[in-house]
Amino acid sequence: MHTICRQGAVTHQPGHVPVISGRSVQAAPLLAPRSAVLVEAVRGRKSRTDPVAKSKVGRIKVPPPVDPVEMLVLKERYSEYELIMRALRLEFKEEVLRKKYEEETGSQAEERARQEEEEHRALINWNDQENLRMLKARILRVQKEEEEAERKKMEAAIQREQQLEESIRLREKEILQLQEEAKNFITLENLDQRIEDALDNPKNYNFAVDKEGKVVKRTVLQ
Amino acid sequence: MVHLSSFLLKKYHSGYVVIRLAMAGHKQANRPFYRIVAAYNKRSRDGKYIEQLGTFDPLPNIYNEKLVSFNFDRIKYWIGCGAHPTKPVAKLLGLSGFFPLHPMTVTEAERRRAQAKLAETTAGTEDSQEEENRAGV
Repeated sequence: MHTICRQGAVTHQPGHVPVISGRSVQAAPLLAPRSAVLVEAVRGRKSRTDPVAKSKVGRIKVPPPVDPVEMLVLKERYSEYELIMRALRLEFKEEVLRKKYEEETGSQAEERARQEEEEHRALINWNDQENLRMLKARILRVQKEEEEAERKKMEAAIQREQQLEESIRLREKEILQLQEEAKNFITLENLDQRIEDALDNPKNYNFAVDKEGKVVKRTVLQ
Repeated sequence: MVHLSSFLLKKYHSGYVVIRLAMAGHKQANRPFYRIVAAYNKRSRDGKYIEQLGTFDPLPNIYNEKLVSFNFDRIKYWIGCGAHPTKPVAKLLGLSGFFPLHPMTVTEAERRRAQAKLAETTAGTEDSQEEENRAGV
């Protein structure tokens, strides 16, 4: 840390009391004539076209009075202050630059750079390993899925074929049955014969059932 | 047409850095509190700053102290990078001992002392005048 020296005590000239105004003097007080009218409207509520307030009609703003002795003393103090400030600024700038230099080309920099590079390489390796692993897993998975799909397709085809065969068989059976029944059909040639047969052999479908379940086929016939 | 420069040139700034007091608005009336802050010159007082370097509480506490805090390391860095402190910040730093005492601090103190002495002497003369009047009467 720098050791900052305080300002030395100021000696007043004997028998002189500096004129003090209530307000503090702004940065660079002017030794201008008192009657100089300064800026009229710098900031504030009113716009350009608003009239002046009644209480301020004849007002002439005047800067606070400046004491020349105090001014001299102040100038001295300011020059010293600025000198010290300039020196401080240069010192701090140098320190910042030195720190930056140390950071970049210092004793630790190489080691740190090397370590970082090693870390980086290790991480990249690990990443590559992970990628390979994921790739293998993915390939296996994809293969399995393909096989599954193939199998399913085959099964579906077999199923379809089987169903086709089933339907063919059913149809063939129906045809055979129909052929069988066709032998007993009544055709135009058989018509007369069948009528005569029917008339000759009357069939009786009536029967009676007892409460005990005995079936009686003998009925009253013509 | 999108204003592209605001996306690309986020870091662009011509202007300089200042170390100044920014009101840390806790949105309570009549209770100010300042942060000592490194910010760009043209930014608003309470707007986005680069870094906070300390605090300043202008109202005295129960032990009649006004509390100030500084981060001297970072202040050194910013001054080394070319930041300018404002007058009140320079005064506070001078009082802390980090900077030389600001000339206005000394001048103000002298003025106040002279004022006090003047008030004392006038009070003294008034008292003595009253005594004389009473003695005379």
